[in-house]
Amino acid sequence: MAISNGIRAESCLDCERTDSRVRDLTPSQHLAIPAEALRRDLGDVPRQARYNRRAALRNGAVGMAAVYAATRLDWDQIWEAARAEAATTSAARKVVLIYMQGGADGLNMFVPQADAQWASYNGARSNIARTRGVSTSLADVGSTPLPGAAGAYLGLANPLLSGAMNNQLYGMPAGAGGLDTVFGDGSGGAGSNLAIFPAADYDPPNLSHFDSRDYWFAGSVTKPTTTGWLGRWLDAQGSRTNPLQAVSLDSALSKQIRTAGAPVCAIDSLDGVVFDVAGVSGDANRYVQQLGSIAAGRRNAALARSRATYALTTRVSARVQDVAVGTPAGVYPDANASYLSNRLQLAARLLGGGLGTRVITIDWGSFDTHGSEKTAMDPQLAELGACLSAFQADLTARGIADDVITVVFSEFGRRVGSNDSAGTDHGAGGPMMVLGNAVRGGLASEPSDLTTLDDNGDLRVTTDFRHVYRAVLEEWLGADPRRYLPDLPNGTINRLGNDPNVLLKAS
Amino acid sequence: MKLTEPMVDRLFWRAGFGPSAADRRRWKGKPVLALVDWFLTAPARLVGPAPTKDGMALDPIKNDDDLVLEWVDRMIRTTNPLVERLTFFYHRHLANSQQGVGSNQMLRTQNAVFRGYADLAHNPNASFRGLMRDITIDPAMLRFLNGESNVKGAPNENYARELMELFCLGVRDDRNRANYTQYDVEQLAKALTGWSIAGTDGMDPHPTPTFNLDSWNNGPKVVFGVQQEFRVRERTDPGYVSAKDPIELVLRRPGAGRKPYETHARFFLRKLWHEFIVPAPDARTMNALVAAYLAPVHGVPGLHLKPVLRRILSAKALFSSLAEPDMVKPPVVYVVGMFRSLGAHVTDNLAYRALSLTDQVPYEPPNVAGWEGGNAWLTTNSVLWRFSLAGELLRRLPPVDHVESATMAVKRAVTELHRPWVAKATMAIVNDAASRSPSGSADARIQRQRLVRALLLAGPDGQVM
Repeated sequence: MAISNGIRAESCLDCERTDSRVRDLTPSQHLAIPAEALRRDLGDVPRQARYNRRAALRNGAVGMAAVYAATRLDWDQIWEAARAEAATTSAARKVVLIYMQGGADGLNMFVPQADAQWASYNGARSNIARTRGVSTSLADVGSTPLPGAAGAYLGLANPLLSGAMNNQLYGMPAGAGGLDTVFGDGSGGAGSNLAIFPAADYDPPNLSHFDSRDYWFAGSVTKPTTTGWLGRWLDAQGSRTNPLQAVSLDSALSKQIRTAGAPVCAIDSLDGVVFDVAGVSGDANRYVQQLGSIAAGRRNAALARSRATYALTTRVSARVQDVAVGTPAGVYPDANASYLSNRLQLAARLLGGGLGTRVITIDWGSFDTHGSEKTAMDPQLAELGACLSAFQADLTARGIADDVITVVFSEFGRRVGSNDSAGTDHGAGGPMMVLGNAVRGGLASEPSDLTTLDDNGDLRVTTDFRHVYRAVLEEWLGADPRRYLPDLPNGTINRLGNDPNVLLKAS
Repeated sequence: MKLTEPMVDRLFWRAGFGPSAADRRRWKGKPVLALVDWFLTAPARLVGPAPTKDGMALDPIKNDDDLVLEWVDRMIRTTNPLVERLTFFYHRHLANSQQGVGSNQMLRTQNAVFRGYADLAHNPNASFRGLMRDITIDPAMLRFLNGESNVKGAPNENYARELMELFCLGVRDDRNRANYTQYDVEQLAKALTGWSIAGTDGMDPHPTPTFNLDSWNNGPKVVFGVQQEFRVRERTDPGYVSAKDPIELVLRRPGAGRKPYETHARFFLRKLWHEFIVPAPDARTMNALVAAYLAPVHGVPGLHLKPVLRRILSAKALFSSLAEPDMVKPPVVYVVGMFRSLGAHVTDNLAYRALSLTDQVPYEPPNVAGWEGGNAWLTTNSVLWRFSLAGELLRRLPPVDHVESATMAVKRAVTELHRPWVAKATMAIVNDAASRSPSGSADARIQRQRLVRALLLAGPDGQVM
């Protein structure tokens, strides 16, 4: 499909809004998340006691879940369901979806290494190309060949994506890991936990943010659906009462987990809820605390109760931080500076919190790099490598690393040739990764050949994203993929050489 | 007794959803009874724009949220708020839920029945007896408490029990005597058989109660220790209600050492009193109330509502702790009061969400006993949402920007919010918050107004009335 420049330019009108949130759906109710529900240090405290409403009211809410459900759910019923599921499905397999918004440039993450490939790459985008070999200069980022067989094809942009070369660029903390930390030796054996798909998309690609992301979220290219690919799986296999089974860590629901009926939810924060006034930056919480400290007349139980409750609530959030948050195990980037770090720490807490959470979605970043690509993209790559590595360490410390896989993707790739603004326009074949102890690490499909681009100057797609979804459903979740992917093409993920075309390690 | 301004405020909060500036101007200095009589005789109209949700008209039949919003809007726009307060009181006393009834149409019909007994301008002789007769065979109630499955061969005791326990008598009387036994429940249930709902196939928009003599249990019934002779016939006379006799029996509650109707009167009047007043009524006041309630009409105790409401609303105890209000606003009163004091209307789902987050959604009581209420309304969760409602509403209203001192900004907020009650110490903190707020730009001044207004309306002092 030939797409003219004119159309491409128009498609950028929706660049501003490249997230996966559904806009035509409002939450059916809101649910307070009690601090107790996330505590990990309760030991012998009976589970029942953690979830009852009284305990929640006593210790306050860490956050609110916006619930999307076909029917109104009773508060106690939800927590009873969460409790029951957490007890029975503690080892249930879980999926984290990280959507890199805007169409990420895989070529500047996974840099071609073979001579002819790199020559084509460098020739097409000399103003933004990475060099080969180690270079820790931010102005001239290098690339380090991936370990093992993959190294003949691709190198990690260093020091951004490489933890071994971490020198605290862009505010990354000392000791932070990178993609190399989780890639291991790339053999697909123990410690090789990162599968890389260098050019994942659908064919023919259409290069529109709006259309492409909708295809990815729906899990369907030719058959429009209002539900998401994992939403349909939740409808068939999920709980009918526990909205915490699938959570968008966002202010609204991601289409990926939009269901026809099963309850799901969006949670924006678990940092404790404070008093604030919409649209006002002043610290209302502080004044409310003062107001709550005024003594009421001795016989006035109502006013005394009101002031005491306000005062208590202002103190709750500080206590919640101690009790529920804990110290994350991984070396995460500063969560105040890194949104992805903030979201992944939330994700780890939820997954480890015993709430029956099976699916988490995160929308992150701004990868629509039409200009000044290095300035825009490089800090995010440093963030990505450090965050994924820290997340994996966090899950390991929580004892759930074997139960979680993380899928990272973007709606498309970018043009091989750069433009005059030192950026790249919309292209085909974006970077996709699947991470997890269970994942057979390594190069999971062949890189696109830069010497034979398509008519549009774009990468040829070497992985149909639906084949990765298929593997997630079939191999990881034990589900029939044809039931949830209405236009699943024939074929599977396309590993190199003698590797079997599977996503997971042999169990 | 002449009304001072705090007294006007008190009455408009307890009998309504808070005062307006005009209410204060009109009633300050007038006799208490003049205002009470206005509440009891003024017809209710709805003023202001009709409710919408995101630009669309409400659809209360199809949409559960809209059913709630429709009523909340009435509360916001009514010219006589006592009508809606009483309607809501009946809903809480005779609590049916959307979940249990499963028909918005039926709940709306029931709501109209309640309002008929709350609108004393149109129904000055409204009696509790009439309310119970109507509600006993109201389709929503027949559904909710299984009246429709209370059949001849297999009586369902649900309604009979609640009729005595929750609606008319209570479990025990003032002298700690059981007001009924399980046997009474079983026997009374038989007397209430024979009813079903016509038009519940979902096609008929107006389900109606029907009585079938053949499915009425015609066996003997011994209630309160005496065999009762309930008169029943086919329903040819539109004024005839077969459930009349069992209801009258419960209201009368005969028995050794009991004065007829007094068990019911004391049970019901105490609840009605505490709807408006915090301190308990003393014995003399209670006796006077009972006497007014039981004043004969055509030879039987009238059980009329207006005379007792007139006494309660003008009782001295209603004006207790005027300097520092002493009753927690129930969520419905708080939310509606907030809309009214900001001049806001229903334009989206906000009121529904606010009620849901503060634990009192009309038509969704937790059970047949209604909401627990009282000081328990305020929890570490609910106060957060009570507070955030102010900011959400303010954001929907035109921004207020005036170049003025912090003191003037607070004065403006106080005036435009119709001087909500806050303690002096509270006002000092609000003034401090204003003085610490930036005011160098329009945006900063708008934010300062919002902060001040939220602290005044939605802080701890805003929760009491």
